[in-house]
Amino acid sequence: MEPLTTEIVVLGAGPGGYAAAFYAADKGKKVTLVEQNPRLGGICLNVGCIPSKALLHATDILRETRDSALRGIEYGAPKIDVEKLRSWKNSILDKLGHGIKTLAQHRKINLIQGRGHFEDSQTLRVETSEGQKFIRYDKAIIAVGSKPTMPNAFDLGNPRVMTSTGALDLPDIPENLLVVGGGYIGMELGTVYAALGSKVVVLEALPSILAGIDADLARPVLRAAQKAFKEIRLNAKVLKMSTVGKQIKVTVEIDKQPREELYDRVLVSVGRSPNLADLGLENTKVIKDDKGFIQSNAQQQTDDPNIYAIGDVNGGALLAHRATKEGKIAVEAILGEPSTFENIVIPAVVYTDPEVAWCGLTEIEAKQKNLDIKIAKFLWGASGRALTLDRPDGLTKLIIEPDTERILGVGIAGSGAGELISEGVLAVEMGATARDIADSVHPHPTLSETLMEAAESFYGTATHTLSRR
Amino acid sequence: MDVKLPQLAEGVEGGTVVSILVSEGQEIKKDQAFMELETQKAVGSIPAPQSGVVTKIHVKQGMEVTVGMVLISIEATNASTASPSAGEAAPSETTGKAPIAISTTTQTSTGTSSSTDDYRYQSKSGIPPPAAPSIRKLARDLDIDLTRVRGSEAGGRIVLADLRAYIQKLQQLAYEGGPAGVVASIPSMPAIPPTPEAIDFARWGPIRREKMSPLRRTVSRRMFESWSTIPKINQFADADISTLLALRKKHAPAYEKRGAHLTLTSFFLLILGRALKNHPRANASMDETALEIVYKDYRHIGVAVDTEGGLIVPILRDVDHKDLLQLSRELHAVTEKTRQRKIAIEELQGGTFTISNQGSIGGSHFTPIIYSPQVAILGIGQGQAKPVAMDGKIAIRTILPLCLAYDHRVLDGGDAVRFLKDIIAGFEAFDEADIKLKE
Repeated sequence: MEPLTTEIVVLGAGPGGYAAAFYAADKGKKVTLVEQNPRLGGICLNVGCIPSKALLHATDILRETRDSALRGIEYGAPKIDVEKLRSWKNSILDKLGHGIKTLAQHRKINLIQGRGHFEDSQTLRVETSEGQKFIRYDKAIIAVGSKPTMPNAFDLGNPRVMTSTGALDLPDIPENLLVVGGGYIGMELGTVYAALGSKVVVLEALPSILAGIDADLARPVLRAAQKAFKEIRLNAKVLKMSTVGKQIKVTVEIDKQPREELYDRVLVSVGRSPNLADLGLENTKVIKDDKGFIQSNAQQQTDDPNIYAIGDVNGGALLAHRATKEGKIAVEAILGEPSTFENIVIPAVVYTDPEVAWCGLTEIEAKQKNLDIKIAKFLWGASGRALTLDRPDGLTKLIIEPDTERILGVGIAGSGAGELISEGVLAVEMGATARDIADSVHPHPTLSETLMEAAESFYGTATHTLSRR
Repeated sequence: MDVKLPQLAEGVEGGTVVSILVSEGQEIKKDQAFMELETQKAVGSIPAPQSGVVTKIHVKQGMEVTVGMVLISIEATNASTASPSAGEAAPSETTGKAPIAISTTTQTSTGTSSSTDDYRYQSKSGIPPPAAPSIRKLARDLDIDLTRVRGSEAGGRIVLADLRAYIQKLQQLAYEGGPAGVVASIPSMPAIPPTPEAIDFARWGPIRREKMSPLRRTVSRRMFESWSTIPKINQFADADISTLLALRKKHAPAYEKRGAHLTLTSFFLLILGRALKNHPRANASMDETALEIVYKDYRHIGVAVDTEGGLIVPILRDVDHKDLLQLSRELHAVTEKTRQRKIAIEELQGGTFTISNQGSIGGSHFTPIIYSPQVAILGIGQGQAKPVAMDGKIAIRTILPLCLAYDHRVLDGGDAVRFLKDIIAGFEAFDEADIKLKE
């Protein structure tokens, strides 16, 4: 069979892959996009960002109405129709997936549904429902993403032991849910199920939840979760799991003592690994690093000059918007433009209750690199807007280079932090100083004022807090 | 320790390695010269900052080096490391005057100079200079290193205006043939402004190409600068030096006895020192920024010396305070030093007026180029026996062709003619008292 020819083939239609394909097509390239899932959008759209945020929004209302009683407005007990909730969530995924497909078609991108496998550095074989197709390409972009890690010891072949993918499918509302791993995925989905009424227990092997996030930003999340969840156990691990009827028997180790407990469902959220098995990378010059991720340079080029890699397959922070940016850089690099993924500020948002968001340098990184920094903080207890929202449990902080007063990083914990962080991204990207933010008028009363007040506090002149001087 | 090229003098950013006087493994004493360097102004030797053994030589003969580059590595011998503080102090001593830290990769990859611009953004956090993403993209597209661009906004943030100013500066330097290093550091720009079209001279016969030495480049840049920026006038004149020559003939043996060679140039120095005192504008400079005329209360005269490497202009200081004997001795010493390229860079700086005397070679009237920021230069040809009218009769006299080139922005025709008349009078009515040696 005559192989198809294309200038660029993109493998995987997640936020990295489809953005790269669209951009390359917009730049006049002949593009083929290969995706095994009938619905485009990748992990983010199908089993990641989008469904989790839909569920978080829906369940946030539950918490709000409950708290509303304290403000003198009471609702009756909520009636939860899991099936309806699931189909509402799925309708969003269909809408978005369809939207991406339409955008791809209008760009005259050749969409192929199937699983790709590299035959050599310039040939991709795709297993489709109509049989094998071969694609001869000039350049390939690997954007196949990652999947939740399921350690063998936990893999009982029982759907009651779920990864995030299973949990997002919302099979039912378990009475007792064990979340193994207190990272952002475990905490976000724990929040959803706790709001739906599950008794959630989180087990974290490390001494804190949301490891890698500055302690002061994680603290409001821990406090809220301690109220909403049944229990959060730190320094704890799972020794064994087994099926017992319709439940899972879990042997946990707490304070070095083993204990047996029964759960209706278990969510394993201990990390993610790249989808690189069976991709035929051994037929190319692509090299993987010691953690099993693809090794690529600042132009996203792998050790195979014809193959680029973007997004989760490269490891690091597994974030959709990072994949999108990398996709654009890969395309620009292929077009011969001097683009590099250097000094680019990638914000991160954790959609817990409250949200945590940060960008640029964190306090943890500054400490690791032994950098001299100053922290300017504003506690939301002093924000009028936070109080009217009944959410004083927030914190905004700026990480500042003392000599130049330049803002190197921003961290926010609090309601809507994910929406607030973009001002921080702009500040860091623009090389803004604390003075720049302090002197920019922010509307009152808003949560965005907390950024301005944090900047003012650097100079000891924040209106709503007393200077330490 | 790594021995880096120190800052040699104001405006000297590097040079070419003429010779390496040590070899690897050789012992070297503190202050012992280990290398000779030809800069834009002279050849000089570089002394070792400490005693020890030369462990590595990082440069080669003929290589261009810039301030801050590692030249050799010296490992201190046991004796000198006895006190640890001495070892620690030494590196900062040598690098203290060299503000540019050039990364080793740059040196090894290009093997030549990397920059002469002393500005480098440095952050303790090790982060790149503050600039908006749009500016960073532009810089990337233009292949411009933003750490060299001075940011004007709060916190040193680089905005479009800063980038524009930087590019304009580069362009200006490129057209001037610029401090070689700066231009060489911009990959897309050659060190010397290119001729509009690259001409293949070999089409018409065999050719030989020779790299312009730093001195040649400096001369060509300064001449081009002067020629293209100064509105100058050339004023011709003749001076009758018959009497002066007779006086010289009479007194020269006495001078020889005192070990001094009485050249015509020493007379010129004496005469000009006095004339400049009476005509301070000819000894002035123009401050174009402040729009002021700078009058200098000293008269340091540069004497153009023809050397094998090219034109060099050493300065004789305070000529108006010196007598003919002092001037002839000093002139001889300075000329010799210059011809041997041993003149120090400081001895080439600070002149207020220049004389260019072609008389020893030949030549008649010629139009010299002003040595900016000076405002005038006197070009002197060879004195020749000519018939002239004297007291209504024709006489044979030795006539010296002169040309005063002057900057019309500072000197007007009247000023120049009066100044020139004074000079001529100095030649023609030379007072024997000025030549007669005191016993």
